[in-house]
Amino acid sequence: MEMQKNTQEEIVIRHLGVTFKDNAGNDVSAVENVSLNINKGEFISLLGPSGCGKTTLLRCVADLQEPTDGEVRIEGMTPKEVRLQHKFGFVFQQPVLFDWRTVRKNVELPLEMMYQSKKQRYEQADKMLEMVGLKDFANHYPRQLSGGMQQRVNIARALGIRPDILLMDEPFSALDEFTKEKLHLDLLRIWRETNKTVLFVTHNIQEAVFLSDRVCVLSPHPGRLSAIIDIDLERPRTLQMKETAHFNELVSEVRNSFEGGSV
Amino acid sequence: MADSVVYQKKIKRKKSLYSRIKESRKCQNILTVVLPILFGLLIFVLWQTKVLHAMMHTDTFTLPVPTRIAKLFGENMSDVLANMRSTVLVAFIGLIAGSIIGYLVAVIASIFPNMGKGGLNIIGAFASIPVIALAPVMNNWTRNISPDANTRSTVAKILVVMLIAAADMCLNAYRGLTELKPYSEDLMKTYAASGFTIFVKLRLPNSVPYIFTALKVSVPASIMTAIVSEYFAEYIIGVGREIRENIVLSQYSIAWVYISAACIIGIVSYIILMIIQSVALKRYH
Amino acid sequence: MKKLAQKKSFQTIFWIILVIAVWEIFASIVEQTQRMPDNIMPHLWQIAAAAVSTDKVSGGMTATQVVLTSASATLLRALGGFLIGAAVGFVLALLMQMSGIVEKMIFPYLMLIQLIPVIGMAPIILAITKDINQSRLIIAAILSFYPVATNTLAGFKSVEKEKYDLMYTYAASRRQIYTKVIIPTTIPYMFTGLKIAAPMAITASILVDTLQGDGGLGCMLSQALRHAMNIYVFWLIVFFSAFIGVFSTYLIGWIEKLVSPSERALLFAKHSSKKKLKPDKNRSHFSMRPRKLAVYHETDAM
Repeated sequence: MEMQKNTQEEIVIRHLGVTFKDNAGNDVSAVENVSLNINKGEFISLLGPSGCGKTTLLRCVADLQEPTDGEVRIEGMTPKEVRLQHKFGFVFQQPVLFDWRTVRKNVELPLEMMYQSKKQRYEQADKMLEMVGLKDFANHYPRQLSGGMQQRVNIARALGIRPDILLMDEPFSALDEFTKEKLHLDLLRIWRETNKTVLFVTHNIQEAVFLSDRVCVLSPHPGRLSAIIDIDLERPRTLQMKETAHFNELVSEVRNSFEGGSV
Repeated sequence: MADSVVYQKKIKRKKSLYSRIKESRKCQNILTVVLPILFGLLIFVLWQTKVLHAMMHTDTFTLPVPTRIAKLFGENMSDVLANMRSTVLVAFIGLIAGSIIGYLVAVIASIFPNMGKGGLNIIGAFASIPVIALAPVMNNWTRNISPDANTRSTVAKILVVMLIAAADMCLNAYRGLTELKPYSEDLMKTYAASGFTIFVKLRLPNSVPYIFTALKVSVPASIMTAIVSEYFAEYIIGVGREIRENIVLSQYSIAWVYISAACIIGIVSYIILMIIQSVALKRYH
Repeated sequence: MKKLAQKKSFQTIFWIILVIAVWEIFASIVEQTQRMPDNIMPHLWQIAAAAVSTDKVSGGMTATQVVLTSASATLLRALGGFLIGAAVGFVLALLMQMSGIVEKMIFPYLMLIQLIPVIGMAPIILAITKDINQSRLIIAAILSFYPVATNTLAGFKSVEKEKYDLMYTYAASRRQIYTKVIIPTTIPYMFTGLKIAAPMAITASILVDTLQGDGGLGCMLSQALRHAMNIYVFWLIVFFSAFIGVFSTYLIGWIEKLVSPSERALLFAKHSSKKKLKPDKNRSHFSMRPRKLAVYHETDAM
């Protein structure tokens, strides 16, 4: 059942491989022969333990890392071409906010790179801050905000450039469980409203199952794709779903799909 | 699979020589060593061939070529060593005494943190007092302590170095004694450790890296202070004073010998500090 | 909060009074036991009296006039040298940041120059330039340039990798990365370098004065010491230069508060919200030389 709603392929990853040189000069394979097609508007999780190359894979898509093998194509273009068109919104694990800029100015930063007018930037920042529920904090400085609020600013900033693709690298891993659940629901709402393609890196199985259309399970040493699991939970997702038997079945299925069985 | 192999080849070929040099760690390591040496050689050649003199509008009388300085250094070895001994002695005793005093003050301040912090602000202010203002004052204060001019001057110089070294050590040691790892003090308290035990087992070891941070600043500062206070001293001895005296006598090449002696003191003492540090901080890394 | 602030100013006043009291006790002892107490430790009020006295001490000028006239010559050169040195230091750090080759070539020498007592070279620089004002400028510039260069470079290196990644995903130009990320991050570091450099530039300038009888604070200091002038001129210069040294550091701290974007953010945040700010572990205003410490860590690589 290859996606009922939209089957247009947006990101195509073919035989992707990345090798690094370690300190001794030996080749270390971080990602090996990963092939994956991602559809437009899909929410995909890359799930795996640390060292499985999930972040490296994401960085290849974002053109932050050059693959040593294989290729990534986004609607036929190279990641670099897409990056230069400002079509990526990247959310890092850390909020990466600029202490000397207000929340609003932080959200406006990428728009400055796109040479938008002051008025355009202001309105866009307003809209984004409203979306993440931080409109009242526009003139605060990042250090005055809690970790969860800072991560919201980070998301607002990534969405501000109206990207086609949202790339998220363990964005919620440093947050407490309550904040995380709230941001999960917010993220799903924003995703529904804006219809972006989301590539979400995580090491949390529940998180991956709860958010995604498909979960890509990666195994370490070397990082490779060991399974792709469809999550057929209804949309919109609610927190109650986490208590259903079906949710737990999916979680077990994902867990058992790690090569060498459950950890 | 076949076209991925072709693609791989294409990528490999795309890399230029420049980017390959940039990415190779080995090449970078070699450059780190070779480039500074080349730069040093360039300066040496410019100096030796008197191009440097033309650039600075000076002559070999005021700025002798390096080989001549080295030759004179050898010829005047015994004089130079005697003056170096005096400067090193002042800097070393002042540094050690000052550091010990500074550390003790920091300990006292850490025992009474409420008042201590204000006191440290005052010491911080003392640290920015120019040496020039301190040196003549110390000379005046030590005027009556000994009939021997050399002893009087040495004590005065040591006092100035001491003050500078104490201020540096005090500020850093206080941080080392109070900026503990989170919860480590709480952990000690759960063991019902006394204040003294906490000090010996936690604060003292925690402050060791900070002691070296202070020394890295105060070792070069002590040497500089010793040299400057020699200018004001009653008795004529020391590397710094010799630089000045020789210039007054228009013996510029001898002055350069003493300048190189001062540089040697600075560099060698720092290397010694680094060696001591690497031994002392072995278990901190 | 208010209570704490009061406490802090109370502390400072307490310690200043204590220092004055100790001085006065020793001055009284000196007065009783020494033949020439004025030379060793006069009472503070005697120094203050000399400052406001209208007696002419030299060339038809009062003591304060002598100090201020010579100070203007010395301090203007110190300021000029400081500004030149700071600018050179910043540009050098920028070049080292932009080019790996320049960095590799210069960095060991930048570390080396910190270990060399440059101030000892003052007489020879005077001999080369043959001009006291030029030497003041050059020595002050050399002494200011390397704290600024090393601290600024440390600032450049302190930009997190994530920030570069973020700017890369925005396809930011090199210029944008510098103006929006690197330079704002570096400013506090640069100010730490400036705070170290300012008293050094002043020390250097005064020292150069003592080398030639051409006016300036250092020159007057030596003359007063040799009793060519009222000894209180000596004490006034000692206190004045101590004050200027300390004041210069604070002055730069105040300028930093005005111009540094992150300081302004902090200041604004304090006023606009009662929420407690998270202290930044890397920024300590407590020690006078916080950044220098950070820089010296990097010399470990040597």
